[in-house]
Amino acid sequence: MTQTLATERTASPTTSKQEQELATGAPAREASSITLEGVKKFFNRHDIALDGVDLTIRPGEFFTLLGPSGCGKTTLLRILAGLDTANSGVVKIGGKDVTEIPSHKRSINTVFQSYALFPHLNVEDNIAFGLKMQGVAKAERDRRVRDMAEFIQLSPLLGRRIEQLSGGQRQRIALARALVCEPDVLLLDEPLSALDAGLRGQLQVELQRIQRRLGMTFVFVTHDQQEAMVMSDRIAVLNAGKIQQLSTPREIFERPTNTFVARFMGHTNLFDITSRQANKLETPLGILEVETQTQGNKVLIRPETIEIGPDAAQYANQFTALVKEHFYRGSFIEYRLQIGEVSLVALSSNQGQKLYNVGEQVLISVCPEDIVTVASED
Amino acid sequence: MSRRSFKASLTIYWWLLLFFLYLPLAVVVLFSFNSINSAATFESFSLRWYRELFSDSQVLSALSNSLILAISSSVIALLFGSLIGYGLYRHRHRKLGWLIILIYLPIVMPDIVFGIADMTFFVRLNSLTGWLSPGLDTMVLSHVTFEIPFVALIVYSRFVGLDATLFDAAKDLYASPLKRTLHFIIPAIKPALISAFFLSFTLSIDDFVISFFTAGPQSSTLPIYIWGAVKKGITPEINAVGALMIGAVIVAAVISLLVTHRRPRQDS
Repeated sequence: MTQTLATERTASPTTSKQEQELATGAPAREASSITLEGVKKFFNRHDIALDGVDLTIRPGEFFTLLGPSGCGKTTLLRILAGLDTANSGVVKIGGKDVTEIPSHKRSINTVFQSYALFPHLNVEDNIAFGLKMQGVAKAERDRRVRDMAEFIQLSPLLGRRIEQLSGGQRQRIALARALVCEPDVLLLDEPLSALDAGLRGQLQVELQRIQRRLGMTFVFVTHDQQEAMVMSDRIAVLNAGKIQQLSTPREIFERPTNTFVARFMGHTNLFDITSRQANKLETPLGILEVETQTQGNKVLIRPETIEIGPDAAQYANQFTALVKEHFYRGSFIEYRLQIGEVSLVALSSNQGQKLYNVGEQVLISVCPEDIVTVASED
Repeated sequence: MSRRSFKASLTIYWWLLLFFLYLPLAVVVLFSFNSINSAATFESFSLRWYRELFSDSQVLSALSNSLILAISSSVIALLFGSLIGYGLYRHRHRKLGWLIILIYLPIVMPDIVFGIADMTFFVRLNSLTGWLSPGLDTMVLSHVTFEIPFVALIVYSRFVGLDATLFDAAKDLYASPLKRTLHFIIPAIKPALISAFFLSFTLSIDDFVISFFTAGPQSSTLPIYIWGAVKKGITPEINAVGALMIGAVIVAAVISLLVTHRRPRQDS
């Protein structure tokens, strides 16, 4: 892999890899896949970080490990980077077993949460660090650092010291320092979590564009489900060291397979199934007509699929609900409703329609195809 | 007392403190430039005593012993002390608090205890094995011993101030253990190394008690020479030695302070 790259470079010494990519839109190197087989990591008998993870990440994919803190996502990332060793299991990158290969010999680079820029080096030397350690000659190194600085739009900062930079600038330099090494895989450990919301949104889009442009395999770690959905091709939701669900953002949001995933994605309307017939489920809410059902013993009604008001009359699963609270959220209105003893949340997109007041009785309905059955997590 | 007079008395206290701290030093420096041999009257400015000092072979040998001792002991202490500092940092997550206490203890131990213990040890060792007869060798060993804890603590606290992820970043960016040491660890702790060196140097130049007990007949340092000379009365020559030492210590201390308190290069 490295060999082919080197030949490519000598063949076209004047144009950088990034420029070629910018011109052609095609990645200059073949992206790598990642395979994890039965990866386990425990710090002691009671502190199990990863409880047997099997996972395949496709070449060129933007893959996200999503989960709450302590779910094992950072440990998994550190095992990929070679900064931690798994107690058992196999890690393969591009088909090659790297389980025993130390970090500095893996063609993987990481963007750390704290950025980890070297305080004793200026911006330019920080970006050049990985190339220098790999023994890339000075002239070649300078050229690649300059090209990368241009690519990521921070050329004017090259001579600055790290302490003179803002959080956003540091984040981009950390990214440049990793990308300039042209690794098989780029790992990103919550790289946006220290930034304010506006900048974070901007960098989410930018990161995604860079990944598409380079066609590099990105493994991104976050606890923010919105961020995961915006950026990823596929998401693995982790909890207690196990993968709970691995799928596309849409599938995970709309068809969570268990209650952990459903709750983590922000869904609250989960009800027990007390008995079931072919296409009917009995729940504390009443009888629900569904289109398909899986083995799950809970039913999920996503708040935005609930129809409120006169329109509700045209669908199945109609209920009369009492408005307990309502919150005006701008682009939508959140209603806290009560049906008998059961409370549920509904989100109604704001199209200037009439708002319902607290204490009003409203007709609601849910389309059978929007109802999902999910398994309890244990 | 009114608030205002309280503040005024604090100011007076401050100036009195400085006066008593620095007046004796100033007198030493002033009288080292006296043209006559008197500790009571200052006649006129002259470099006479400095000239005499630098033509006195005893003083010159004491000066050279002091410098050899200070430089070599500081270099050795820097090497071993920073290894200890790094070790303490690397294994800080284990329960090693007692190790730090072992490092702190020599710092608060009275010099006289150290000096006598070292002397007894070296004399006994010498009579049993014939190794290490009292002289510069034994003095360097003793000085290294009392300097190491200072170096270890300075280096350790510099490491603690670094973002621990930097070590991961260096590994992640293809640095082998040797390259990590050369291109990351040493440059990152350089200020601590410089400041530890100068602190050791100052401690060594300044030490009388431990040097006195571990010195041999040919290895007088400046403090030992001064102590011997003072027994015959204070001469302007001694003042000149004192003035030179004050100058050297101030220079070393200032460099050490400047390096330690230079604006940290990392602010998050």
